[in-house]
Amino acid sequence: MKTAQDVKVNNVVLIDGSPWLVQKAEYTKSGRNSAIMKMKLRNLLTGSTTETVYKFDDKMEQVNLDQVDVTYSYKADDMYVFMDGEYNQYELSAEDVESVIPYIVDGMTDECKAVFFQGKVISVDLPTTIVRQIDYAEGSARGDTSGKVMKVAKLSNGTELKVADFCEVGDWIEIDTRTGEYKSRAKAPA
Amino acid sequence: MKSWDIFCTAIDNFGDVGVSWRLARQLAHEFALDVRLFVDDPQVLELLCPEVSPSLPIQWVSGVQVIRWGAGLEVAPAAVVIETFGCRLPDTLISAMAARDPASLWINLEYLSAESWVEDCHCLPSPQVTGPQKYFYFPGFTERTGGLLREKDLLLKRQQFTQADKRHFLRKLGVDPSPGSVLVSVFTYENESIASWLEILCRDESRFHLLVPTGRISKNIQRWLGVEVLAHGEIHSCGQLTIQAIPFVRQEDYDLLLWSCDLNLVRGEDSFVRAQWAGKPFLWHIYPQEGNAHLEKLAAFLRYYLDGMGVEAAAATQRFWGDWNRQKALQESWAVWQKHWPDLERNAERWCSQLARQPGLAESLARLAQSWYKRRAEITPPF
Repeated sequence: MKTAQDVKVNNVVLIDGSPWLVQKAEYTKSGRNSAIMKMKLRNLLTGSTTETVYKFDDKMEQVNLDQVDVTYSYKADDMYVFMDGEYNQYELSAEDVESVIPYIVDGMTDECKAVFFQGKVISVDLPTTIVRQIDYAEGSARGDTSGKVMKVAKLSNGTELKVADFCEVGDWIEIDTRTGEYKSRAKAPA
Repeated sequence: MKSWDIFCTAIDNFGDVGVSWRLARQLAHEFALDVRLFVDDPQVLELLCPEVSPSLPIQWVSGVQVIRWGAGLEVAPAAVVIETFGCRLPDTLISAMAARDPASLWINLEYLSAESWVEDCHCLPSPQVTGPQKYFYFPGFTERTGGLLREKDLLLKRQQFTQADKRHFLRKLGVDPSPGSVLVSVFTYENESIASWLEILCRDESRFHLLVPTGRISKNIQRWLGVEVLAHGEIHSCGQLTIQAIPFVRQEDYDLLLWSCDLNLVRGEDSFVRAQWAGKPFLWHIYPQEGNAHLEKLAAFLRYYLDGMGVEAAAATQRFWGDWNRQKALQESWAVWQKHWPDLERNAERWCSQLARQPGLAESLARLAQSWYKRRAEITPPF
């Protein structure tokens, strides 16, 4: 059992015997130092979605799912295709990989985890830290090297995020995929 | 769905029990429901309703069955079970709620907040590992929330409250204010900044008469007065200021106190809501939270409350309320706030009328239960 505040996006919880994928989990302080978790859940068997709310310390039954290392291959029609080391292909819908889509770029080599429930692939998790190249960035304020001043930048797939003011077009950066936040400037991947 | 259970734990003040007791009475009186109130500390309830005898495990008071909630409680659950403010229901009761035919509707009544996320979370399901359908219910200030507790005849009673009624009520409390003095009720948490406020009230052009029920602010006032205790009936004067200790009044009489005063200092949730129904200027001491989370909640309320007030009066209110809740010196912010008195009075009435256009919390809850039972018979819920 986990408490609601420990349940994260892409965890799967069991409710009334059905597996529900946590698509969103927001922590909010309510009254008197209490807190609630608002979640968006998707039923992995029927595909239906619903919003729920829990006390932060409510018990939830988490399901441990099988995982396989995969890399992104290509997008065909509306499906995202990932491949494992034995060249098995796994197709996922945009809904299945909603949290991953902002970081999908052509040629990405990140080692992802494909998640299975009862033999069927249901989602993909990215590594916690990924490296991406800046495709567009606003102009910089001269001389700021502190990293505290932030500005808007875009990745090649159009994803917007805030980066340190000294970052420029063509720079490689590390992104925390849990929060979607810029971490630091990085070296170009080998 | 005529049977309702309300479970409540008294945490550290009167708010939890106060709201639960008020809700229980209203559901019983106005909706003819069979209501049981389970409370872990009936002594707190006794202060709000002296007819309650804390030693009795079960008793009928004001049409509500009051049950002392202790370990090993075994009862057949009602059609609707409300857990207030996140109190934990016993596992055995939860199982019995699920086994009931039809299963109980389980509602978690949450704290009041004006923050926007409340609208998004109000009435959402909360499927549990065990137990029947559970929903979160959020009181609030907009139609997309559960509303505020308001008895059907509350505003009419307020309108009919005459100067003679006021004199009679105050006389019962032993209060005889000088003509023209500004009457202020003071029911707040501990607050260091009250010393700076009392200092300026002594020198104000107007006469101020503060009525202080026994409570958490008493110690700050005692320290300022240089006395060990502030016993009921004691009156202290300093320049233009009179401070009078009054007894803790029962829940129904607290409304009369608010209506009798020109300014009300309130706190937490229940007195805060009643001050809004009083339609008088008030100052809210919000429940302090870790990480100053309460300041966001204060700002969220002020966004609603001040919408419609003049720009300068609104800014003065934000500053005075902010200084009070940050426990800062109040000399300057009070002086500015006071200048806007006519605006403050108009706004308090405007806000009260605006809120009164929305259904009350008890009414909305009763409707929810009714429609849920009806819908349950028609469709299969998602969980």
